[in-house]
Amino acid sequence: MKAITANRLIDGEVVFWKAGAWVEGFGDAQLFDDAQDADVETVVAAAKAQPTVIVDPYPIDLAPVPGSVDGGLAPVSYRERIRALGPTNEPTHGKQAVGGEVIEALRHAAGAARSTGRVDLIRRK
Amino acid sequence: MPKLIKLAGDAAEWAEDIFTHVGDDDALPEGDVILSLARFQAEGEILLSNSRRVGVRIEPDQEVEALAYDLPRLSVVALAFPKYRDGRAYTSARLLRERLGFTGEVRAVGDVLQEQAGFMVRCGFDAFEPNDGATPEAWTKAAHRYRHVYQRAADSRPTAFEEREAFEERAV
Amino acid sequence: MYLYDPIDREFLIDRSNEFRHQVARRLAGELTDDQFKPLRLMNGLYLQLHAYMLRIAIPYGSLNARQARRLAWIARTYDKGYGHFTTRQNIQFNWIKLKDAPDILDALAEVDLHAIQTSGNCIRNVTADPYAGATAEEIDDPRVWSEVLRQWSTLHPEFSFLPRKFKIAITGALTDRAAVKVHDIGLILRKGRDGQIGFEVIVGGGQGRTPYVGPTIRSYLPAEHLLSYVEAILRVYNRHGRRDNIYKARIKILVAALGAEEFARQVEEEWGKIDAARANLPASELARVRAAFAQTNFEALPAVSETFEAARAASPALQRFVRNNVKPHKQSGYAIVEVSLKAIGQTPGDATAEQLEVVADLAERYSLDDLRVTHAQNLVLPHVKLDDLPTVHAALEAAGLATANIDLASDIIACPGLDYCALANARAIPIAQDIAKKFADPDRAEKVGELKIKISGCINACGHHHVAHIGILGVDKKGEEFYQLSLGGSGAEDASIGRILGPGLSADKVAPAIDALVDAYLNIRADDERFLDTYRRVGLEPFKEAVYAQAD
Repeated sequence: MKAITANRLIDGEVVFWKAGAWVEGFGDAQLFDDAQDADVETVVAAAKAQPTVIVDPYPIDLAPVPGSVDGGLAPVSYRERIRALGPTNEPTHGKQAVGGEVIEALRHAAGAARSTGRVDLIRRK
Repeated sequence: MPKLIKLAGDAAEWAEDIFTHVGDDDALPEGDVILSLARFQAEGEILLSNSRRVGVRIEPDQEVEALAYDLPRLSVVALAFPKYRDGRAYTSARLLRERLGFTGEVRAVGDVLQEQAGFMVRCGFDAFEPNDGATPEAWTKAAHRYRHVYQRAADSRPTAFEEREAFEERAV
Repeated sequence: MYLYDPIDREFLIDRSNEFRHQVARRLAGELTDDQFKPLRLMNGLYLQLHAYMLRIAIPYGSLNARQARRLAWIARTYDKGYGHFTTRQNIQFNWIKLKDAPDILDALAEVDLHAIQTSGNCIRNVTADPYAGATAEEIDDPRVWSEVLRQWSTLHPEFSFLPRKFKIAITGALTDRAAVKVHDIGLILRKGRDGQIGFEVIVGGGQGRTPYVGPTIRSYLPAEHLLSYVEAILRVYNRHGRRDNIYKARIKILVAALGAEEFARQVEEEWGKIDAARANLPASELARVRAAFAQTNFEALPAVSETFEAARAASPALQRFVRNNVKPHKQSGYAIVEVSLKAIGQTPGDATAEQLEVVADLAERYSLDDLRVTHAQNLVLPHVKLDDLPTVHAALEAAGLATANIDLASDIIACPGLDYCALANARAIPIAQDIAKKFADPDRAEKVGELKIKISGCINACGHHHVAHIGILGVDKKGEEFYQLSLGGSGAEDASIGRILGPGLSADKVAPAIDALVDAYLNIRADDERFLDTYRRVGLEPFKEAVYAQAD
């Protein structure tokens, strides 16, 4: 699944495409399934051509949130989850301030690659 | 072809361009021409001797010092901006004016934008082929946006420290 | 302090008007984003993850109370009530709207502040020793020369479109608090054999993707030739620096490619052709700038303050603060006070509007209206009377600004990282918070002693990780944050680039790894050796084992 995001020109706010308009909440974003890649391209191309509403539109990949019962989706990339939430060091700043289920789901989403990082490399003599 | 803007005193105005930019493989037209450095080095002597006016186009990776001995015979040195972000031509212009004493036309060609007008004028450019549709009015305004300058360059504007000194002398 | 005159002020007004015009054209659709981006960047305005970020220049890290209060007002009016001090002694606001930016520039201009050349491929804000004019070890006041360079470089007609950004730092003291050896140009004030003042000129240091400790290209340049010599360096760079590859465009790459000797030869040759009388600043203007920094209002005070001695004997907290945050002043009866913006668990370098106002009041009342920003993201009250130290300490304590941890393990440098920055690959702030918590016990932190931990969220190295005793670099692996540790860097007078310890660690393993490194150090240190010196003595191996060995 995909969504389309950008930043609003006048204030830099992160926005998402929803059927002809740009909305602020990730939960309101229009979802495109894999069969709709051509639609995604069309929207992004049209968004790039408009002069004054948003800047830098691009599609983002979504994946199901682990453990979510209703099939909730979150951006795959960590960067995109931070854009959809706000900074993690100030939990009341940005979009996350409103709270609610979508915000909680985004906070608990995990990236595509899970790995613990390599320690235990050296065998102690 | 972009229209040519020239400085006349402090103001910029439209000017008729009597020069033709001639590519290295182009047939030589009648009249006054601007050539690449390579073509000038090959054919310049002959052209100058048959009483044409000749200009040379210098790319950013070419050094204006290469023209040092020919400058008195040249009417125009055109300095190229392949991208406006490529700032080498500013150095070339200052060297032409301040070190090599060139008094002919120094023309900005290529990606030439009104936002750069102030920098260009200060470095000694006096002719411009704007790439952004700028009018002479816009050009004049952009070139004079700042009432003060902080450093000496190829123009004759008094620097901030010279203005301060003059002010103190008046006060005394 | 240098005060702006009508010329400086009109210049800022012209700048602000120009930007207002450009923003209006952009909002009206007359400029495309591609055309507008370089214009906003030249005014320090970035588009980050959540909003625009405005980077405001604090020339050589020096502010007065009025300016600090205006920054607090901007934080409250246009941001979310805080600002972030950076490793270039600047301040950034994270939640700026494009439509407000021209009003903010106007508000800044009213107090002689601006955002000129805080971004773009030009000569950036010149940084200097934050103890300038206060430390006894100073040969000459670097602010004089920083201000000279600030004016000279402002909208320089020839050097505003360099191959890449260009950073200059100056120190007048042998202890290097300005990281001069990792700048495009580093200047160290030196006394000549004739008793005159000059500069050691270092060119081509830097961090980022390819870190270098810069070589000295001239051991002594008579000070009055500074502008002509810097012009020669910039001209060689502007003509010959690479423009085909953004990662190879900094002057360090040119210096390394030519070799320091050949680069120096080209600079000297160019310098020989410059008309020095025209290029250097007239002595009268230099004298005017110098006079502005002459501090003539120190009181004659005894070297020992009874008030202060009694207060510190009674207060272990004050005693600890003095041990770590108070430094000797050149003037008898005065001290330099560092104000830590690294309270345990806080975002490194952040100050709230209220904190800025407290510090502004203290600067005005107790520090000759003088406030400094350090490249380690802390503040300095440079001229505090010993008699006033207990009062100042109490006021800082009440505002959460008295953490006694300067240069200790919890005094961590961190860039904004992936929480804010569009370039970042990983977060830096939460890592810093985790590590600081490991050193929340001030006795442990003091026992460990000087330990400079620095974190960057990407290879651009705004967090100076290459020159940290323990450096941490955030990288992205398939959408997950990983952190690469390096040891043995220094940005001070003993500058060096750190060496990578081993494979990257996931976020939750970084603070435990730092703990393990510190324990290893405490086990093997000799006498009162710093972490850095122990590393230099024993090398990577014992530390590698401490982090990567299997638990028993």
